[in-house]
Amino acid sequence: MNKGEREALAGLLPFEAEPRLPNDRRRLLKEFVMSEIRRPAGRPRRRPPRPALLASALALGVAAAVGVPVLLGGGTPAYAVSRNADGTLTITINQAKDPEPLEATLRGMGVNAVVDYIPVGKRCSPQPRSTSFLSRQEAQHPADGRPFLIWPSDEPGFRIDPAAVKPGQTAVLEFSVSADERTAGIWANISNGPVAPCTLVDSDEAPLGPPPGWEG
Amino acid sequence: MSLRARIRDGDAEAFEALFEEMERPVFSHAFRLTGDWSAAEDVLSLTFLEAWRLRRRIDADGGSLRPWVLGIATNVARNLRRAARRYEAALARMPRSLPVPDFSDEIVGRIDAAEQLAAIRQAFGSLRRQEQEVFALCVWSGLDHAEAAQALGVAVGTVRSRLSRARKKLEKLAVERQRASGWRQVKGDHDSVVRSVGEENR
Repeated sequence: MNKGEREALAGLLPFEAEPRLPNDRRRLLKEFVMSEIRRPAGRPRRRPPRPALLASALALGVAAAVGVPVLLGGGTPAYAVSRNADGTLTITINQAKDPEPLEATLRGMGVNAVVDYIPVGKRCSPQPRSTSFLSRQEAQHPADGRPFLIWPSDEPGFRIDPAAVKPGQTAVLEFSVSADERTAGIWANISNGPVAPCTLVDSDEAPLGPPPGWEG
Repeated sequence: MSLRARIRDGDAEAFEALFEEMERPVFSHAFRLTGDWSAAEDVLSLTFLEAWRLRRRIDADGGSLRPWVLGIATNVARNLRRAARRYEAALARMPRSLPVPDFSDEIVGRIDAAEQLAAIRQAFGSLRRQEQEVFALCVWSGLDHAEAAQALGVAVGTVRSRLSRARKKLEKLAVERQRASGWRQVKGDHDSVVRSVGEENR
C-alpha cells in the first residue's frame, strides 16, 4: 500500500489524537507483565525488590509550589502540591513513605482529604472504606462537570480539583507504591459519610480502591 | 543473537525490550478497536502475556516483530473474554486504575472534537469486524498488505479485498454525511457566532 492510498483511507476516519497511557501507568503495566512472565507456573511469589530508580527532580520545576514539602536527604521534596491557574492542584510524589504530611498539606489547602500509600502486595482493609462513595458515574461525570480526579494525570503528577469536594464530604486518595517507594497508580473517590482508616493487609488482588463490582 | 531468537529462547530482558518498543502501538491499536480505555489496558497486558506464551512460534529469522505482536493484539481484542479467562489469576493481580476515563474524555476536551470522535466511532462501527481489523492494522498502525496478512493469518488478497470493501463503505458514508450536514452547517455556523459573542460578554 503506498502513502497516498493510506492517506486517502486515513482521511475517511481521521483519528487524529493518539491514545497514550500516562508514563506512570505504562511503567506499572510493564512491571505487571514482567513479574507475571517471571512467575514460576502455578506458584505465586512476591516480586523481588527492584533497584531504586532515580528520584525525579521534576517536582522542583513546578513554579507555584505551595505545599510544605518534607525534604529527602538530597534536598528533593518527598512530595509537592502546586495550585494551577484554574484552581486545580497538581500532586507530585517523589518518595511515597509517609502519607500524613501530604494529607496535612492538602487539608491546609482546603481539601478535606484522606491519603494512603499502598505498597506492592498490600491493600487497604476494609474495602470499600465507605458505604457512601459516589458512584463511578457521579465521580467521573458530576453535574457541574468538575470531577475530583482529572484524567489523564499531568506528567509526572496527579491533578485533582478541590471544588469537587463539597462541604461535609471527604476525598479519599489511595496511591499504589512500587518497591522503590515511587508511586505508580492512583485511585480517588469522594465519600459523603465517614471513611474507615486504612489497615494494610497482604493481598494478591488489585491494590487500589474497592474490589470490582462494589457498586452492586 | 537477534531479538527474535532471544525472545523465542525465553530471554526476559529481550522481551522487556519488545514491550518498550511495542507498548504504544499495541495500546493505540487496542484502544481504536475497542473504543474503551480500560479494555485497551487489558488488551495491552494480555497481548504481552500471550506473546510470551507463544514465543516458541517465533521464527528466528525475519524482520520486525510488529506484525506478529499486532496480530496477537487483534486476536485478544476480538476474544477479550476468552483471553481474560485464560489469564484470570494474572488479571486479578493486575494493578487497576480507577476511575477509568471514558472514550471521549481522555483524548479530547473540546465538545466539537468529542462529536467528531463519536462520528468516527460510528462510521468505524458500521464496518464488519474483519474490515475494522484490516483498516486499523493497515491505516492506523501502518502495516502494509503483506504484514497485515501475516498478522491476521490470511492471504494478502483477502487483506486487499477487505480494505477495498471498507473504503467503499466509508466513502459512501462520507458522501451521505456531507449531504446531510450541508444544510446544518450554514445554520450551525450562525448559531456558533451568536454563542461565542455571548460568551465573551460574560
